[in-house]
Amino acid sequence: MRRASIWIFLACLCIPSFALYRGEIYSEDLRIQPLRDGRVSTTFSFITVLEGAVPRNPKALGQLDESQHYALFPLTLGQILREYAITELHLTLNAGKWNYDNWGHPHEAGVGTGAELWAWMGASEVTTVDERWSGLRNALSGLFCASLGSLDSRRTLSPTVAFPLSGSTPTFAPHELRHASLPSESVCTENLTPFLKLLPCKSHAGLAALLNPQKVFDADWHGMGIHVTWKEDTGVELKLTLQAVFNPVRTSAGKRRDWNLQSLFDRSIERSCPVASSSSVTVILPEEKGYQITPENPAHINGLVIYDLSSSSNFTIPSNIAMYWPSEHSFQYPLPPLTPVTPLSVKRTIHGTTQTRGVLSISVTNNSPQEISAGYLEMMPALLTLWMHTLKVEINSQIRSDLLSGLKYHPPSPQSNDRLSPSMLQAVLTIPPKTTLKLSMEVNKAFLKYTEHPPDAMRGWDLPGAVFFPLPQSSHDTSSSYDWERIYTPTLLVDLPTPDFSMPYNVIILSCTLMTLIFGSIFNLLTRKWVVVEIQE
Amino acid sequence: MSILVNEGLWLLDNNIDPYVGGAFRHSPLLLSLFSTIVPPLPIIWALSDAVGAWALLRIWRARQGLSSLKGTGSDVENLIVSVYVPSAYFEYAPNAPHSYLLNPYLLLPSLALSTSTFENTLTLLALMFASEGKVSPALLAIAFAVHLTPSSILLLLPILMVLLSSPVSHLASPRPFHGNLKRIPFLFGEFTLYWLVLVGAACIIAGGSWNWVRASWGASLMLPDLTPNPGLWWYFFTEMFDHFRPFFLMVFSVHLVIYILPICIKFQHDPLYAAFLLVGVLGTFKAYLTLADPGLFLSMISLFPEVHGYLRHPIITTLLHLHAALLLPLQHVLWVSEGRGNANFYYAASLVMGMAGGAGLVDACWAGMRIAVGDAKVGAEEKVEGKGKVMWEVVQQ
Repeated sequence: MRRASIWIFLACLCIPSFALYRGEIYSEDLRIQPLRDGRVSTTFSFITVLEGAVPRNPKALGQLDESQHYALFPLTLGQILREYAITELHLTLNAGKWNYDNWGHPHEAGVGTGAELWAWMGASEVTTVDERWSGLRNALSGLFCASLGSLDSRRTLSPTVAFPLSGSTPTFAPHELRHASLPSESVCTENLTPFLKLLPCKSHAGLAALLNPQKVFDADWHGMGIHVTWKEDTGVELKLTLQAVFNPVRTSAGKRRDWNLQSLFDRSIERSCPVASSSSVTVILPEEKGYQITPENPAHINGLVIYDLSSSSNFTIPSNIAMYWPSEHSFQYPLPPLTPVTPLSVKRTIHGTTQTRGVLSISVTNNSPQEISAGYLEMMPALLTLWMHTLKVEINSQIRSDLLSGLKYHPPSPQSNDRLSPSMLQAVLTIPPKTTLKLSMEVNKAFLKYTEHPPDAMRGWDLPGAVFFPLPQSSHDTSSSYDWERIYTPTLLVDLPTPDFSMPYNVIILSCTLMTLIFGSIFNLLTRKWVVVEIQE
Repeated sequence: MSILVNEGLWLLDNNIDPYVGGAFRHSPLLLSLFSTIVPPLPIIWALSDAVGAWALLRIWRARQGLSSLKGTGSDVENLIVSVYVPSAYFEYAPNAPHSYLLNPYLLLPSLALSTSTFENTLTLLALMFASEGKVSPALLAIAFAVHLTPSSILLLLPILMVLLSSPVSHLASPRPFHGNLKRIPFLFGEFTLYWLVLVGAACIIAGGSWNWVRASWGASLMLPDLTPNPGLWWYFFTEMFDHFRPFFLMVFSVHLVIYILPICIKFQHDPLYAAFLLVGVLGTFKAYLTLADPGLFLSMISLFPEVHGYLRHPIITTLLHLHAALLLPLQHVLWVSEGRGNANFYYAASLVMGMAGGAGLVDACWAGMRIAVGDAKVGAEEKVEGKGKVMWEVVQQ
């Protein structure tokens, strides 16, 4: 009796706490797509919406902020967003090279190798955008245990055309973009743990329970993203994504491409997350037949199978979703030539045998039967000097300068701390149907001070990938363009000439000795008196 | 370098400030020359070299006291004759132009379309006008040279002294400086005027911004670009600890300036020789040294035939230069292209180059003073009562 009254009391306490969730909506989704090369692409997205919330006005940064009470939205991230008055934030941490040709466009566009951070902030007189950008980097690097602090002025640019505001544009202040990427940053468990802590159910319940670090980081490609956007009609939206491309052919004993949740993640969903308003697993069915999927579910829509995991549904938990090819003994890789899945395929290389000069060349192939215009963005650290006068656009070894338009080039500019910002090259390439366009330019590699080299200098430097992006629709007719998102080319490794690291003292001593020797000899000559002396035999 | 000039021209064409990114470091005057007057064609470098050789010949004539009117033909004719018919008319005159035109240290930078060719020509023109007593052209030429490379300021004082006295050789008979020192402020004022006009013109061409000052002149003081060259600075500052860098930059810059006064005082009887020695200092210790800098010094040796017999260690100096000339390209290829050697290989070669430059400087300095003592060997063996045979030697004490 007494125990029952305690339960009733606790239940009464819970009623107002559920009321607090009003205004915060949490939903989670997992999309699984078997790919044609036997791999399985999985995309988790966890969306928290703060309804009616507005980003902080940077002009009010000097005043006391309103108090923050969140039930589902992560407070640690909310504090950072309010502290630096961030309107829109995108952080991605990825490992591996996204294979557009075989895997198609990812569900989340930010698949550039390494760390990429970009934020839109309102300008204000209270604190400058650059000060807040620096604070944001350090706060996020603390939150996610990543080396985002090194995304300093040597890597920061403002490419507004390629990275536009994806939400609404606030009217309270003119907005500025800061973008930086660090291709050498690797992703590991220490980044996943803080990521999971941002979720309302952590990894105890719901879809996040599947996120087993040992399996996720064993995937052929894996990456996580944090996207904060503001939409005028809904509010602030936090979208945490995690993508991984698994390779069941590699991990299974019989070289089969069959998969199930248990084999992919080595975990299962024991219970659903109680605060999630929706929780679903979507399987995108492959085009060719011969597969079977369990459990059989009636909800087949346009080649999708949707399993509703939310507590209200009658779906049984725990459950194991599986797909298998009963008639296939072992998976046969499709033989080349394979037509790429995406209309654009991009290759980017740097060649040249010497350590001082090289040629950066990009070849873009249009696989579609219609002409494509794409924006091309190169953000090159000042390690490499682009010789813009050697820029060439060729199709079949014929110069076609008419295909390149809207060329914008910002050479590296010196920053306050005597460092050079990256150079930025932006252009519009028009690629005729079914052709390959080659763009090349000569580059110079910098000779750096010995203190500027990393400890593993002989490994070389990672250069961020180039970005191809769709042009804003307003400037272009919609008929000839197709719906696509940013394409990142793989990163490049560049071999810079290195000095000898073992002998700074020797060099200082030898050079100074030579200088004093010459100096001494000349002043000796200039100051002494000439005499004729007698030599005794 | 021509690639830098081309890049600067491209940036200018596309309305981008060429001085922002550190890719272009030349004066706006040079940029406007190539963007509006002539494109950077190799013929410009050939012409510049020809003018330099002609200037060298004129300097030689002025030093020998031969006015151009007294010559057997026009200067151009002399030049042609002297190149093709060595020692045709004069004993030494032919050496001057072809020592310039055929000097590999000068030829190679010209083939590589290096702007150091123009700097050398301007230096020689300044010396030529000074030797011929043409005040304003000389000061204008040195103002141009200083504008293109600020370290040419070393040559200003000897050029002023040549203008005030004469270029004729007095090495063998030293005497106190006899020019009118009161004119120095006026000459210096005129130089400053020209220099300011050039700076103003450069600013107007650069669109009113001062970025070019930091990019072009600042480079020889701050050494932002550490690309290897035959000089002593680049590897020193590659390996320098960050917190000592400003101090040693100051030391290296002051070290250049420190030679001006002692050399000008010691050779006050022959300021042209002082200018020659300071060219040698520049050719050894300049910030962004090119082969053309020691090349100018070596070519100018032919202006002073009277000291040739008194050089201290000419063989050693020649061998050092020979070694440096062979080692520099070899080690550069081994390090940068082949990847078999490392930076120390090329550094060692640049040290040899530095030693060669220093040895040449010491040689020239010694010979310029030794000639005044006279030839002691003539009376070296004379009988002195009670002592028998006596040897004499000239030494410094």
